[in-house]
Amino acid sequence: MQRSASDGAARAVVSRRVLWIVPILLLPLPLLLNPYQQYVINLVLVYVPVAIGFNVVVGNLGLLAFSNVAFFGIGAYTAGILMVRLGLPWWVAVPPAALMGAVAGCAASVPALRGVRLFYLAIMTLAFGELMRWVYIRWIPVTGGSFGMALPPPDLFGWSLDSEAGKFYVFLGLVLVAIIATDRILRSRFGRAFVAIKSDELAAAAMGVPTNRYITLGFAWGGAVVGVGGAMYAALIGHLSPPAFDLTELILEFAIIMVGGLGSLVGSVIGAVIITAAPEFFHELPGYQELLFGILIVLVILFLPRGLASLLARAHPLFRDRYDRG
Amino acid sequence: MILSQLVISGVATGMLYALIALSMTVGYRATTVVNFGHGDIVMMGAYAMLFLAVGVGMPFPLALALAASGLFLFGFLMQRGLMAPIIAGPHLSLAIMALAVGYALRGVARIEWGNDILLLPRPYAQNAFLLGPVVITMDDLVITGSVLLLLLLLFVVFNVTRIGKVIQAVFQTQRGAQLVGINVPAFHCIMWGAGTTLGTAGGVLLALIVPLTPDMGVWTLVRGFAAMTLGGFGSLHGAVIGGVLLGLMEKLLGFYVSTVFIDISGYLITILVLLIRPQGLFGQHATLRV
Amino acid sequence: MPMRFNRALGALGAAVAVVAIAAAPASAQNTQGISDKTIKIGNLGPFTGESSIFTPLNFGPEAYLRSINAQGGVHGRTFETVFADDACNEAKGIAAAKKLIYEDKVFMIMGHPCSGVAMAIKPMLDKEGVPWMGLAANPKLTRPTVPSMFSSYTGIESGSAMAAFALTKPGVKKIAIVQHSNDWAAGYCNPATDYIKANGAEVVISTAMERGSTDATAQALQIKQSGAQAVMGCLYQQELVILLRDMAKYGVDAIVLGALGADFNQTVQQVGNPAAVKQKFFQPYQFQAKIGTGPLKPYRELFLKYLTKDELPKSGEPTNFYYFGVPVGIVTVEAFKRAGPAPTREKWIEAVESLKGFETNVFADTANFSKDNHVGFRRMFAVGLNDAGEETVYSTWGKPLPPSGS
Repeated sequence: MQRSASDGAARAVVSRRVLWIVPILLLPLPLLLNPYQQYVINLVLVYVPVAIGFNVVVGNLGLLAFSNVAFFGIGAYTAGILMVRLGLPWWVAVPPAALMGAVAGCAASVPALRGVRLFYLAIMTLAFGELMRWVYIRWIPVTGGSFGMALPPPDLFGWSLDSEAGKFYVFLGLVLVAIIATDRILRSRFGRAFVAIKSDELAAAAMGVPTNRYITLGFAWGGAVVGVGGAMYAALIGHLSPPAFDLTELILEFAIIMVGGLGSLVGSVIGAVIITAAPEFFHELPGYQELLFGILIVLVILFLPRGLASLLARAHPLFRDRYDRG
Repeated sequence: MILSQLVISGVATGMLYALIALSMTVGYRATTVVNFGHGDIVMMGAYAMLFLAVGVGMPFPLALALAASGLFLFGFLMQRGLMAPIIAGPHLSLAIMALAVGYALRGVARIEWGNDILLLPRPYAQNAFLLGPVVITMDDLVITGSVLLLLLLLFVVFNVTRIGKVIQAVFQTQRGAQLVGINVPAFHCIMWGAGTTLGTAGGVLLALIVPLTPDMGVWTLVRGFAAMTLGGFGSLHGAVIGGVLLGLMEKLLGFYVSTVFIDISGYLITILVLLIRPQGLFGQHATLRV
Repeated sequence: MPMRFNRALGALGAAVAVVAIAAAPASAQNTQGISDKTIKIGNLGPFTGESSIFTPLNFGPEAYLRSINAQGGVHGRTFETVFADDACNEAKGIAAAKKLIYEDKVFMIMGHPCSGVAMAIKPMLDKEGVPWMGLAANPKLTRPTVPSMFSSYTGIESGSAMAAFALTKPGVKKIAIVQHSNDWAAGYCNPATDYIKANGAEVVISTAMERGSTDATAQALQIKQSGAQAVMGCLYQQELVILLRDMAKYGVDAIVLGALGADFNQTVQQVGNPAAVKQKFFQPYQFQAKIGTGPLKPYRELFLKYLTKDELPKSGEPTNFYYFGVPVGIVTVEAFKRAGPAPTREKWIEAVESLKGFETNVFADTANFSKDNHVGFRRMFAVGLNDAGEETVYSTWGKPLPPSGS
């Protein structure tokens, strides 16, 4: 039993290398598509880290943290402020965006450390997210207030990323780093501690797991990854304004991880692809988006509680990334 | 003079928040699930009333009765068909389920009424009275009176009737209630429906003073949450007192400090209360001790 | 393994090169969207979300294009509209605009996006030289002038008109501002504030009133205490109604100038208290007569004839937004007429810039564009209720326009 499990794990590691084929196949994509399609692909890439970070806190750690849009906005505004107010190039602004995302994650974990859980935590973190939007509106000299902030075109080591294709390759690189790093973390003792906290926090604490430390770490990592997503958003859109980080955005991000699959990296990626790109196929029914979205989430929760990732995992063991099972 | 005016109008506004918080509390007490779609249900109640009273042209009381029963049915079916099947699952699914239902409702309202700004005609004259230097409008009186009446009704139901005992029993221990022969799932449906019905009452009162938009649900939800948090989750009188305090805080902070704080009073209250005293004024056990 | 991998990479590189060569000449062209029989036009606006209430601004010009199509179009070409939804969100707005430009391949874009979206797509429209004719509260869209972008009015004209009318009332020196904390409201209230300061009056208090407010007690009492004689209300209709109601409730004796986010008639009706609005509530008025009357009457019929049930209000008359939007269509069509039988983007832009004193029969002002000025309309009146409670258009305080034959 023991041996076959570790055998399986070893085989999984080898075969997971096959997944490298996916980014490689994506490489020529910008050349095949028109700028509109390239843009949609880039938008999908922005939402991959946003979903990954969100999923770590909500899916892997199992905490009802509704503050993801705050991390997203803080990442985006950090990058934007550094670019506009300090004149830094975009690539220099990415690490600070991740850092500020992590700091915001730590801040959002404070109530959880004080024992606030479940719906209370949800309501409180929701309030935190909305409060941040108020900050973007009110801190006019820095954020540009309600008019927002127009950003210069992003660049990488002095190489301008003015075209969608240029952004695509940089985004793809960042997304890969986010995926690999998060995968490593979830497979390490951190990940195992997350599983323990999610399944029974009291038992984990009783067993001597420093649950508070892991909760903070989970939030910080989630916030950092989402912060990078925010910096990518700033580069892609080139204009930041407060309404982009409202409750509708939160519902969109929830839809991504619910439809993709809670606690699954594969799920975060699939969710980002489907939810971000789907509206582009329903241009004929603009007024129906809210209704269709709501119904989609309801159906997923009722009939596919582990999201599309669970279907993929059933189809092929390659996509099995349930970190809470050996 | 200004202070007394702010207090009077703060209480009137607060009563509205109290009713929203109360309607959320009723559903929460029965199921221990917070309804994240409640704001949009309040919105739907207001539009249902508007549709029946203005669109169809029914007399006000009949439209009110029909809208309330319609939303009761909606709440009942929502609990039965959407919440009950996942009630044993993670809290996250329950929260998102309700959020998604609310989002879909907003979509329906937008498709149906999104191009118009509508106001429910008052079934009473829009008078104002002077109490010394303080102005009180008929709207203030109707809202405060209606909420007090509903509060009295709830008080009787919860504390005097047999239903109240059942509610208390289920809130304390669902398993125990089941063992003594209470049909807990059916009870959940009825109480969830009662919550949406009360929410409808809130929506109708809101529609009398505020022109409707499909997006009113978000604000409603935030204020309901803040009032509930302040009063303490699950506490009925806490919800009312929390609502009134929130109304007062908005007015006083808005006038004496700055109007830019009116909008975030609810968020500030929510965060501060949960950080400092998570059980609120009258609630119990809100945190996990590790 | 590494050997094979390298070979695979080589193949990939070759494939990339082939595709790159094949895809190269697909850039936007001068006559994109023009065929022998049709002109393809994008219509961009917030068809979903909180701002979808303003889509009549998109349907107004669309109705006009349909009426032109019914008469056979311009130089034998009819207009083909592609609607695109920006949902008032930058990410979606860029996607919508890119789809119009690169996939639907429209000749030009018409519409009124939210100002955040407008700012986000501006660099792209400028770079691609896609003509744009629209309405946006945010004046940065057309100031400084971008070669291909035109607006009918911006918030500068409307905001200044609000302040200008208030200051024509004798004795008005102290002004209060009440506004939403969003870009739309700033688009009106910032130029109003500039105008007030430049014309010897003073902003005595500036207050915020957010979406979803249920009353305006704090704001009304602050205004009362400040002694302001006029209020700039940069608010959407719901909140404007509440402000007017509560100012009357607390006996605040100041006139209120509303921004163009509300329909005048609906606002008056929803306040439900004649004393609160009569000679108290005014809005900038960009039309040459009462909507639906006089020269504007044919447009009422045009809306009812050419718009579908979903595009018209559920109940009641077409609101001011339909009329506000329609000149965007009129100017666009006129420029196509002037651009001749073989229109290009350059010719169309030149044609717009040639419009001087062009009468739309809708707006109070005639259209005047030039190379350096891409905002076509300036003059505005004000609308309010006279002492008898009748809707009246004023040129300045106390000076009604001569009634036009209805």
